[in-house]
Amino acid sequence: MPQTLTNILIPTGIMLGLALLLGFLIVLVSKAFAVEKNETKEKILEALPGANCGGCGFAGCEGYADYLSKNGTNTALCAVGGVDCAREIASILGTEAAIPEKKVAVPRCQGTCEQTSKRYVYLGTSSCHAASGLLGGPNSCTFGCLGFGDCVAACAFGAIKIVDGICQIDRSQCHGCGQCVKVCPKKLIELMPITATVAVRCQNEWPGARTRKNCNIGCIGCQKCVRFCPQGAISMRESLAVIDQSKCIHCDTCVNGCPTHAIAFLREDLKRASEEAKKELAEKS
Amino acid sequence: MTKEFLIIIFSAILVDNFVLSKFMGICSFLGVSKNLKTAMGMSGAVVCVMLVASAITWPIQHLLLNPLKLGYLQTLVFILVIAALVQMIEMIMKKSMPPLHKALGIYLPLITTNCAVLGVTILNINSNYSFAESMVNALGAGIGFTLSLFLFSGVRSRIDKADVPEALKGLPITLISASLVAVSFLGFKGLVENLFGG
Repeated sequence: MPQTLTNILIPTGIMLGLALLLGFLIVLVSKAFAVEKNETKEKILEALPGANCGGCGFAGCEGYADYLSKNGTNTALCAVGGVDCAREIASILGTEAAIPEKKVAVPRCQGTCEQTSKRYVYLGTSSCHAASGLLGGPNSCTFGCLGFGDCVAACAFGAIKIVDGICQIDRSQCHGCGQCVKVCPKKLIELMPITATVAVRCQNEWPGARTRKNCNIGCIGCQKCVRFCPQGAISMRESLAVIDQSKCIHCDTCVNGCPTHAIAFLREDLKRASEEAKKELAEKS
Repeated sequence: MTKEFLIIIFSAILVDNFVLSKFMGICSFLGVSKNLKTAMGMSGAVVCVMLVASAITWPIQHLLLNPLKLGYLQTLVFILVIAALVQMIEMIMKKSMPPLHKALGIYLPLITTNCAVLGVTILNINSNYSFAESMVNALGAGIGFTLSLFLFSGVRSRIDKADVPEALKGLPITLISASLVAVSFLGFKGLVENLFGG
């Protein structure tokens, strides 16, 4: 039955020919457009944590690896990978390692729902950016945390949560990438050295009386801490105390002296922890 | 002649929008519409693949399959050709446009099995379009895809900020809003007839 045979053979032949032709074309294109792999980049990419947080200022880990493999020598930009990562990259590149200073994000506001009040009822979009556009947000203190969690969404490590209307950052989860710092419309999250033990947990620059009226735990600018600090590490900006962490000797005088508790320990057991961290850093470098 | 082209392109973009009226390419429609940048990248890829696929499948149908009376091989051959085509486009893109390649990620190979692309090529044949008409139809379908992705990525960025009930979060609310956008496109029915009197 030759008719049946050709009926089968022609389509089969056409499909086969087409497949072969296309396969050949794909091979040609893949040869012509082959991407040469950058081995150094691949290695660095492997050494990086792969969190793609963008804390280094590049577009993800790949962007940073690209920069390093081409001309970069600054191995200290990855806050997430820390010291080990910087060393590994330096050994791949064969250069001197620049060690990043370990930092953690600290929210400078303690104005929970109990400590502050609301000026108006906000019913808009649930976002800090949107809320802060409306007369600086519904809170009685317009410097403080709005608590809609823009930072929570920005954190790639799940270190932030909103408790009692303000953000809380879990220091053990924080990698210091600084994404939350960028998104906070109130600019109230600050990257501090992990060795820091105390901080002014407020950024209200209003005069004392006005601060007092609007928040129970804000810095009223009494300058008690400035007088107490044996190192002269505390200065005033408008009506707000500012601690120079590089001068701090962790004596805790300011914490004990602060009448409104605006200056607070970053964590109860932090004094010990920071000493350990210092020791560890000293050993490593 | 111009009038016919206008009818084809307007129907493809507004009246018979591939995503919102024919419900083709829903996978990529939902997948990449999260933000405008990737949505536009994907749309660019779809427009490009639709045009090239139509340009290749039309001669295959009319010069190879029809003379040999092998019309029943249409789907098989078209899928094969489109798949190979997307592979090649991906390789070329990887070499010459790495940022776009990175943005499209897994969605570029998805065009391989995107029914919108296969749909436009088969529609060209079934509607007895000439080669030029096929290309215009492919362009219109691509622009229609771009338009719906553009609109929907805007809708989705609003959904992201909205307070959605727990049970509807994620895909459910996305599908509901997609259907509402589709309903709005029903309003274009009859547009072409009244515009061009055809």
